[in-house]
Amino acid sequence: MVSQRDRDILREDLRARGTKLNAAEREALLKTYLPDPAVLPSKPARSRASTASSERRKTPRKKPIRAFLKSQLHHLTYALTHIIFGIVVRLLQAYHAVVDRIFAIVYHHHRTPELIRKDVRGLKRLPQHLSTILTLRKEDDALAALMDEVAELAAWSSCAGIPQLSVYEKTGTLKSCIPALHQIITTKLASYYGTPSQQPNLQLFAPHHPVYHAENAFRPDNPTLTILLLSSTDGRETIVDLTKTLAEMSQNGKLSPDDITQELVDAEISEITSQPLALDPSSRDTVLKPEPDLLLVFGPFLKLDGYPPWQIRLTEMYCTGQRSHGLAGDGEAVEYQGYMRGLWHFAGAQMRFGR
Amino acid sequence: MPGSLHMSRLRNWFLASPPVEYAINSLKELLIGALQQGPVPQHVAFVMDGNRRFARSHGIETVEGHHLGFEALARVSGYTFEAPALHGKRPYSLWLPILTTDKILEVCYKSGVQVVTIYAFSIENFKRSKFEVDALMEMAKVKLSQMAQHGDLLDQYGAKVRVLGRLDLLKPDVLEAVNRAVDLTSRNGDRVLNICFPYTSRDEITSAIRDTISDYSTPIQQSRSAAAASRTPFSESHIVHHIRTQTLGSKTHDSNSDTESTSSSSAQDEDSFSRNGRSNRVYESGSSFSSSTTLHLGGQQDPKDSPPRPANESDSPVYLSPETISRQTLDDRMLTKDTPPLDILVRTSGVERLSDFMLWQAHENTEIVFLNVMWPEFDLWHFLPVMLGWQRRISKSRQDPNAEGNFAGDDESSGDDLETMLLRQGGKLKDI
Repeated sequence: MVSQRDRDILREDLRARGTKLNAAEREALLKTYLPDPAVLPSKPARSRASTASSERRKTPRKKPIRAFLKSQLHHLTYALTHIIFGIVVRLLQAYHAVVDRIFAIVYHHHRTPELIRKDVRGLKRLPQHLSTILTLRKEDDALAALMDEVAELAAWSSCAGIPQLSVYEKTGTLKSCIPALHQIITTKLASYYGTPSQQPNLQLFAPHHPVYHAENAFRPDNPTLTILLLSSTDGRETIVDLTKTLAEMSQNGKLSPDDITQELVDAEISEITSQPLALDPSSRDTVLKPEPDLLLVFGPFLKLDGYPPWQIRLTEMYCTGQRSHGLAGDGEAVEYQGYMRGLWHFAGAQMRFGR
Repeated sequence: MPGSLHMSRLRNWFLASPPVEYAINSLKELLIGALQQGPVPQHVAFVMDGNRRFARSHGIETVEGHHLGFEALARVSGYTFEAPALHGKRPYSLWLPILTTDKILEVCYKSGVQVVTIYAFSIENFKRSKFEVDALMEMAKVKLSQMAQHGDLLDQYGAKVRVLGRLDLLKPDVLEAVNRAVDLTSRNGDRVLNICFPYTSRDEITSAIRDTISDYSTPIQQSRSAAAASRTPFSESHIVHHIRTQTLGSKTHDSNSDTESTSSSSAQDEDSFSRNGRSNRVYESGSSFSSSTTLHLGGQQDPKDSPPRPANESDSPVYLSPETISRQTLDDRMLTKDTPPLDILVRTSGVERLSDFMLWQAHENTEIVFLNVMWPEFDLWHFLPVMLGWQRRISKSRQDPNAEGNFAGDDESSGDDLETMLLRQGGKLKDI
């Protein structure tokens, strides 16, 4: 790589907007650092002014032993680096596992909305629309576990005062059991809030599904929690579907390709996830905010896994397993302390031991 | 402050001394060589963020911070040309026509990454002060025309430079420089540097949709579009010819199949009546009833030859069916077409959002990494854990076939390399 002196010269040149050196001078400066053309595998050696390189080219000595040793060295280094890296990762994992346990004890919510409210009280900002990526595991009771996770998330969000929650799960199984899910969440909320009169209003919907909420149980004084269920078909597929519709319209002469603007696409895509919510027409938040403020990924590393691409332009992302380079397998457990850490992170705050 | 400045100067002096520099470089080379032994990501994207903050925290001029930031990406070294960093409020205001690179680009290309995509300038950045935008454009122009002066060097060592984005928003002189640089490098090796300038992902997706629609609303001529032709192993013209000869032979009429076709398509085609008189627009394939070929017959056809196929007349325009639009259709119209799927997306400075970058591309198996370092400090030592983590994950998922993992491993890539090398050799032979 480049020596300090040459670097300074080039930096000077740059500051002068490339006027200080001419092309030939720059090339001369670079020449020492360019690899010998002969060693470039893909290109033939061309005639170069440099005598040194041309001399070397005259005697194209093959160095099989050296090359062999070099590749062996590289293999060895690869193995070594990965062993060391693996050890470091394991150590970090162990460390974070311990820290997480401590957090889990210290920040236990005991299913009391007051405690959860207290945890978020000091935060400068809260997401208005929180989105999460969950994974369906492979066990037999995976669906039940997943629904329980959604219920927990719903309870925490409602306690923390987040009005909108969207849950992404790749396969979309949740969408097929909205009433059951509603029932489970209601039960969960009851275990947090106690009597129904204190529970928030709950409404549940998915794109192309009607809004589902409990009949005649609307309590105008209580806050409303809206849950949107997403799956991978709401991602690229939706954009493809929109393109199909637009193409059909265009073929029928109803619009010209020039009419397609970013605003149009945005309006159409947003419309799918922001259908007017019938429950409480008087409320200000009758329309779901299409772009989530915070995306919590419960997984070992940050991977969107088919999450709708259009909406996450400005969404902050937080991965609960990221610190540990988690290799835990299918996905991290959905835990309160991870959830809280995400909220704290969003607010730009650090979680500490002791509340 | 002076103390720390002194220390850093001492440190720089130490690091710049020849033996230390040599040792560090050898170590880096070794590590890069080692990285090559495992699976290597094929496509890496960077959002370069944190230059201004770096400058502020180090008490140096902002502009200087950007110079440093730029150097982090493309110091003149290895086979690189230096290009300027430009300052701005948004993180991705860096602009850099580089060929290959020092720190990061060089690491990427040397370890076998095929495509590097960087976010240089957002369409939103045009909203900034005219002074700033003009300065940026001026820098871009200077660097690109400098690049053009080094044409033969580029040929030998350069990667292919591609500029992705709304080029129509650029001023003519800058556009000319862009075009020249892209032209100059277009015949270069298989390494690609994508510079997103001026770019936003939503704009890219919208353009892809628009392009798709304008393609699909162009009537198909008698000579079918290549896309349609490639989809079927049979030659459509041959089938048409065959049926036509048969129709000419047996002049039977059957209007039943005709009405069948119109009844199901008339609902959507109401509008075309005025234009075409008859609603006999038939889609290519995929829809509920129509077959995969549309026949342009002068008359009617024998129902026995093609029972499920509705007969139709040829005067009206025929379009590709919108039902054939798939993710791939849109993929092919993205600016990043022909590049491997994005494996890693790195954003520095701890800002944890995509900011309208690679939304479409990053949405599936891409590992998104937010690093809490300022871009000028970002180098091999920060990138190494990312690469190692990725390699580790890929190796794991490869051992466990159940785990998903859509990646290009070293085996395949070396095979590809061999293939491209052979191809290139073939090309050379032809040249000779």
